[in-house]
Amino acid sequence: MSTELIGQRETSAAESSWGILSWVTSVDHKRIGMLYILLAVFFLVVGGFEAVLIRIQLSIPNNTFLSPEVFNQLFTMHGTTMVFLVGMPMFTGFSNFLVPLMIGAKDVAFPRLNAMSFWMLPFGAFLLYFSFLTGSAPNAGWFAYAPLSTKPYSLGPGIDYWIVGLIVMGIGSIAAAINIVATVLTLRTPGMSLQRVPLFVWIMLMQAMLIVITIPPLNSALALLCVDRWLEAAFFEPIRGGSALLWQHFFWIFGHPEVYVFALPAFAMVSEIIPVFSRKPIYGYAFVAGSSTIILLLSYGVWAHHMFAVGLGTGANIFFSAMTMLIALPTGVKIFNWTATMWGGSIRFTTAMLFAIAFLIQFVIGGLTGVMFAAVPIDWQMTDTYFVVAHFHYVLIGGIIFAVFAAIYYWFPKFTGRMLDERLGKWQFWLWVVGFNGTFMIQHFLGAMGMPRRVYTYADNPGWALFNGISSFSVIFMVLGTLVLVWNVVKSLLKGELAGNNPWDAYTLEWATTSPPPEYNFKSLPEIKSRRPVWDKGHPELADWKSSKTPEDRGRRPDRAKVCGWTFVTSEAVFFVLLLATYIVFNVRHTGEGPTASTALNVPRTAVFSLFLLASSLTFWLSERNLRAGRHSASIRWLGVTILFGIIFLCGQAWEYAGLLTNDIYIDSNLFASTFFTVTGFHGLHVTAGLVALGIMFVLGRKNYLTKEHSKPFGAIGIYWHFVDVVWIFVFAIIYLGVFQP
Amino acid sequence: MIDSKLWFWTSPVWLLVAVLLIAYLAFARGRSRTQLAIFLLGLFALTMAFVSPVGVLADGYLFSAHMVQHIVLLLVVPVCLLLSLPTKEASKWFDRPRLDRVGRWLSIAAVGWICGVGAMWFWHVPVLCSTAAQRPSVGILRDLSLVLAGIAFWWPIYAPCDRYRLHPLSGIAYLFSACLGCTLLGIYITFYPLTVCPVFASPVDRLGIVNSLYNAGLTPRIDQHLGGLMMWVPPCAIYICSIISLLCRWYSENDYHRETQLISEPIATSGV
Repeated sequence: MSTELIGQRETSAAESSWGILSWVTSVDHKRIGMLYILLAVFFLVVGGFEAVLIRIQLSIPNNTFLSPEVFNQLFTMHGTTMVFLVGMPMFTGFSNFLVPLMIGAKDVAFPRLNAMSFWMLPFGAFLLYFSFLTGSAPNAGWFAYAPLSTKPYSLGPGIDYWIVGLIVMGIGSIAAAINIVATVLTLRTPGMSLQRVPLFVWIMLMQAMLIVITIPPLNSALALLCVDRWLEAAFFEPIRGGSALLWQHFFWIFGHPEVYVFALPAFAMVSEIIPVFSRKPIYGYAFVAGSSTIILLLSYGVWAHHMFAVGLGTGANIFFSAMTMLIALPTGVKIFNWTATMWGGSIRFTTAMLFAIAFLIQFVIGGLTGVMFAAVPIDWQMTDTYFVVAHFHYVLIGGIIFAVFAAIYYWFPKFTGRMLDERLGKWQFWLWVVGFNGTFMIQHFLGAMGMPRRVYTYADNPGWALFNGISSFSVIFMVLGTLVLVWNVVKSLLKGELAGNNPWDAYTLEWATTSPPPEYNFKSLPEIKSRRPVWDKGHPELADWKSSKTPEDRGRRPDRAKVCGWTFVTSEAVFFVLLLATYIVFNVRHTGEGPTASTALNVPRTAVFSLFLLASSLTFWLSERNLRAGRHSASIRWLGVTILFGIIFLCGQAWEYAGLLTNDIYIDSNLFASTFFTVTGFHGLHVTAGLVALGIMFVLGRKNYLTKEHSKPFGAIGIYWHFVDVVWIFVFAIIYLGVFQP
Repeated sequence: MIDSKLWFWTSPVWLLVAVLLIAYLAFARGRSRTQLAIFLLGLFALTMAFVSPVGVLADGYLFSAHMVQHIVLLLVVPVCLLLSLPTKEASKWFDRPRLDRVGRWLSIAAVGWICGVGAMWFWHVPVLCSTAAQRPSVGILRDLSLVLAGIAFWWPIYAPCDRYRLHPLSGIAYLFSACLGCTLLGIYITFYPLTVCPVFASPVDRLGIVNSLYNAGLTPRIDQHLGGLMMWVPPCAIYICSIISLLCRWYSENDYHRETQLISEPIATSGV
């Protein structure tokens, strides 16, 4: 039995061709996925080139190849590029290409949003790299610690480009993640219960959810830094009452889960590759999937281990140390799962499998040094040395980039229809193993010997020149390996062996279609009765569902607009929580001169305007109810009232602002004013955005385009509108009523 | 010397424990050995929350001890009570319309969430926190409300009848959001520059142990710091464990029919 899915989709002339315009205008998830991956590879080369320059500078002591300024710019751009322009797009690309195929869908849930998410990325990248042309690229490290990143210490526009570039890319990433969440939850083919999705899909779902909650803290921090730099507030300037540590907290609330944003997809990839080349199903599916969920939950609670050296207090250090050791457990479980999968399997040492095995070993090394850092005294000793550099490169390159290489060799046939050359692949593998371990293993020793990171040169201490020389020399192997990969890709694209549908005899649905897949993805799908439908189809006598039962699909799929609405609102909630936390931090105790909430704000007046905003939730609900019931004109009427109430609220805010400004209270007056204007300003911005959306709906409604069938997207806008109102309740309680004031 | 002062062997909690134990032995028919063990564990936790140094120090001395007591009452004791109920007997109880109505009401996720997370926040409003520590009647009210709120909170996860339980994935969202709720409270208390609960900042030294506490490094500032961390990390660890149990439940739920069949069949219990 198979589900016929033959081309119900209209194919436009532009999409069926292969010209550049067809790529730019494409909304096909596979093309967008490939664009993501190509962009990531391009920036891998750029970021790699920056790394090569850094290593040339460090190859001998007291080198003057790079000036200190350029060195700072290079390591900042190297880190930023690798995180935001290589890691994020690489995995989003794989996710985009593979997730819909693996769940038997025709595309992602929101194809146009998908295209927008992608194009935000080159736009952000352009902003970031344009900074070089201004003569002052960002130079405060990828973590941009305050107060170094504030105006008094970084006068040039570099940090500004960094901020704007990251915000643009962050918005794109969140949109892409929302799309993946909605796709997995709503578009699974019949039979595929959530407990049956391939591990890649489940883990990428977890990763997408993690992105949704982990990027907003960065956006909050960037917004505050923007206000600091452009409007002369002092959130992060201790000299004017701000807190440099607040930046560190916000940055690492983002930064630590970000590590798992990279690690989870690597886990996802090897969880598909190792079973296929071991000819066995994964050992302990539920453990791998469940532990990924636990990682998602725990990753949010360990950020302060990046801050052991700043003096949080023994209590905090102990708790965060314990939490950090805890998170090693769900990661460690997976290592056993993968090893146990290989145990007793008939292993095929293809290039993909070799990279996956190297991933296992190197990731364990990176993980173990990570556990060492969880012990506070070791952290104190080793922090800001090359030991840290070695540790995270073992995680990020030895682990994650190796997994990406494995994935490239494994899925290249599906992407292009041609096999990569295995002989060249093995050359690349060994060059990278030697180059990577040669470069970074020795940095552990340099770190233990006390060599500090982020310093452009070093004195000729005993052993340092030799070790640095070895480290820099080994980079050549990685460069050669990369050239081999590029050559391999070009050669294979031109005259590689044809792949066929399923060259690896793999298990998951993407292998049930042609290579490359047609635009509509599948002509027909096998019946889904287990986690390995393609295996079941190819080996009916050994089908998984005969030996092990998995929970049946009950056919429930949530509405995609609703999922999108809720996911977006979750992300926004995190953003506001951090802004409100900032308000509380700076306004618990009034110190110094200037206005305060109790002296500057007119609470009763704002309370009246707040009632309008709250009432607008009610009127929206009435509008929605009428729309669902098919009472069109009543729905439009209530929608109009909603918009009117929203506008009245904004007028109230404008009145309040005008009053403050005429009393000489500006955003840079003091920290109360800065936090007040920032929080209420962002809320006002959200209300305005909501009004624009409602206005569009109103116009559509007046032209009779808004009908009962549109009640679901309309409801999604409603989720946003109610959310904006709920946020205001908190804003009002915290700022106007001062519930956290003593 | 100090050690003996730190135990409150004559606590009235023994009475409550005795009543609960008798009621359990009398009414919870068909319980398994494990369920009895869980119940006894719950009673032990309840007793220790008042009799041990945690209870004594929570009574106006240490904010961090107060937090431990708070967590035990809100998150540990109620879980034990719910898990100790024998499924078959409990489903008989909840077949009665009135109890069923209560069960269904408690199974509304928002109710449990607001009770659980709300109780945490509510009792840390500075005035209420101090009053509860100073006035025994308010203190009893607080402790009782914590246990009841805890039962309401855990009901959608560990209710004795399946029909009251949330779908495991919704349960995970429920627990994770609760974890964020207590994390925020924990962060707030940990980094709050002023005293959250003034009574602990200047304890009435009825046992003469304040100096030794301060000498041991438990000054009010550090104490509050630890209290905040107690609110932050251990509850999240409990939620994570519970999430693991939900994941196990979710992955082991084979097909729906088998599940319902199991419920309708009499379940053999070893009986104690």
